[in-house]
Amino acid sequence: MNKIEAIIKPFKLDEVKEALAEIGIQGMTVSEVKGFGRQKGQTEVFRGSEYTVDFVPKIKLEIVVADEAVDRVVKAIQETAKTGKIGDGKIFVIPISRAMRIRTAETGEAAV
Amino acid sequence: MIKKFTTKMRDPKERRLFYAIFGGKMLGLGLCFLVMLGVSAYFGSTALKAHADTGTATTATAPATAAAPAAPAPVPDPPYCSPINTMWVLVTAFLVFFMQAGFMFLEAGFARTRETINVLLEGIVDTCLCGILFYLWGFAWMFGHGNGFIGWGDSSGHTWYCLQNLGDTYESTGVATLAFFLFQFAFADTCSTITSGAMLGRTGFWGDLWYSIGVSGFIYPIFGHWAWGPDGWLNTIHPAAFHDFAGSTVVHTIGGFIALAGAIVLGPRIGRKFKRDGGGPMPYHDMTIAAVGGVILWFGWYGFNPGSTLSAMDIQGVARVAANTTLAACGGGLGALLFVYPRFKKWDCGATINGFLAGLVAITCPCYWVSPFGAIMIGLIAGVVVILGVDLLEYLRIDDPCGAWPVHGLCGIWGTWSLGLFATGQFGAPTPTGADNSAGAIVSGLFYGGGWNQFIAQVIGNAAIGGSVFIVSLVLMYAVKATGTLRVSKDGEIEGLDLHEHGGHAYPEHTAHQS
Repeated sequence: MNKIEAIIKPFKLDEVKEALAEIGIQGMTVSEVKGFGRQKGQTEVFRGSEYTVDFVPKIKLEIVVADEAVDRVVKAIQETAKTGKIGDGKIFVIPISRAMRIRTAETGEAAV
Repeated sequence: MIKKFTTKMRDPKERRLFYAIFGGKMLGLGLCFLVMLGVSAYFGSTALKAHADTGTATTATAPATAAAPAAPAPVPDPPYCSPINTMWVLVTAFLVFFMQAGFMFLEAGFARTRETINVLLEGIVDTCLCGILFYLWGFAWMFGHGNGFIGWGDSSGHTWYCLQNLGDTYESTGVATLAFFLFQFAFADTCSTITSGAMLGRTGFWGDLWYSIGVSGFIYPIFGHWAWGPDGWLNTIHPAAFHDFAGSTVVHTIGGFIALAGAIVLGPRIGRKFKRDGGGPMPYHDMTIAAVGGVILWFGWYGFNPGSTLSAMDIQGVARVAANTTLAACGGGLGALLFVYPRFKKWDCGATINGFLAGLVAITCPCYWVSPFGAIMIGLIAGVVVILGVDLLEYLRIDDPCGAWPVHGLCGIWGTWSLGLFATGQFGAPTPTGADNSAGAIVSGLFYGGGWNQFIAQVIGNAAIGGSVFIVSLVLMYAVKATGTLRVSKDGEIEGLDLHEHGGHAYPEHTAHQS
């Protein structure tokens, strides 16, 4: 099992969710985060002056899937979340040692 | 832009889209016209019918209004009580009071999340303090007879402290004294709230209380008496009497300069880097409430200016003041919006809010005496002046989170001066029973053949009050600073005033958005 963690632009969330539903992914966890990479924040305007916002709002998606699904999921996220402009985000894959479904106490791949 | 359009139109898909949208717009316009025709046909027919029936009645009243006298009906023997004037003053007092909600929204919106509760509570407590202080001695000092600099009671020497010995009505206004008290309390409240706009984010709450007492209890009533007291010395200066219809000087210049003194003595918020050092303003946290707050202030101004006629019977005056107030706000909003746009090619919402507020502040002094055209000009210029004021503070490294000094202080000065330029020479003064446009009461400005006299008087009055207030408020702020309560500790400021002074978060469930 692997966890796929993706940091994406907030307005891309619906598209990514649709794309994942199309390849059969049935669940995910989403959180609102702030961050920057080489984008280095953005410049905004207020009352006639510019100021820099260091941390830009992003969405973090976390999905735990069986090993054979990882490539499909990563590809789907990368293709839909991409805009071609700086700040598109990153995808990380982290191995998961255990998983359990709380309602039924199932473990392993049956739990994801 | 045209080139972009023609290249786009070569694509058949884009062409079809264009025809669809254009066709839709034409259809929509056509429907609008049909509705307009239909509605006007319906109402036109019923109105015409009504007019035909009462034709004789309407023609009979016309001559009466045409022969209206230049001087109003004389005020009846005391005690003169005017229910309609009292009602008018009360209703407008309620509107002016509602500006507190506007200030709370505006200031909270421009502040950060971490000091939002502080801004809101400061607004509420400052209001409560102001009411009590104005009751105790503020009203007596400001509106009582006394000498040119301070008042204390009626002309027989009975003092008005704790609202004792009041007559049924205030002077010859015909307005119940307690209604007039409420109206003026609302103005005092406005002045003291302005200060907090420049001082938010780093002022300890004890400090807030002390300077509020200083402003509402001492600075506003005493310096306000100079212009609005029955024997205020600015009423009899030369070459002309100083005029401030609803308070560009008394409320806004005073408030704005106390705010400036506070911002200077406090110093900027931690982490504030200024434009010339490669930084910029600190981000606001809620533009929605800031913008709506600004518009609530605009709404409240419909009590602030028209209510200052203190007379519902001067119908032309009240209407003219309301119209001028509106047009100045419109001019100010557009002036600021268009002045800032070229800088970054962005339509700056915060600047526009400051812009229409600046227009409103500026028109507050001259609103009775200028024409609608003059009001637009005064507002437009204020919209530009306010942005320049914001730039100036940025250059001087003074942190004013809401622009309290540029909006109220600087445009209060401009508004006061503008009377000396734009007063048309057609209008005199409101009286309890109508308008007094006799020769002695007329106010005339430079652009309308009135010469420099009024302008000079405006500069004198504004400088006397503004200059004295600035010096006294610097003393006040340094005095509060000496008690150690003015600025909150460094740790307290960084963790946020809400947690440090008020034990909570403004948005407890939304930790992701805290800043």
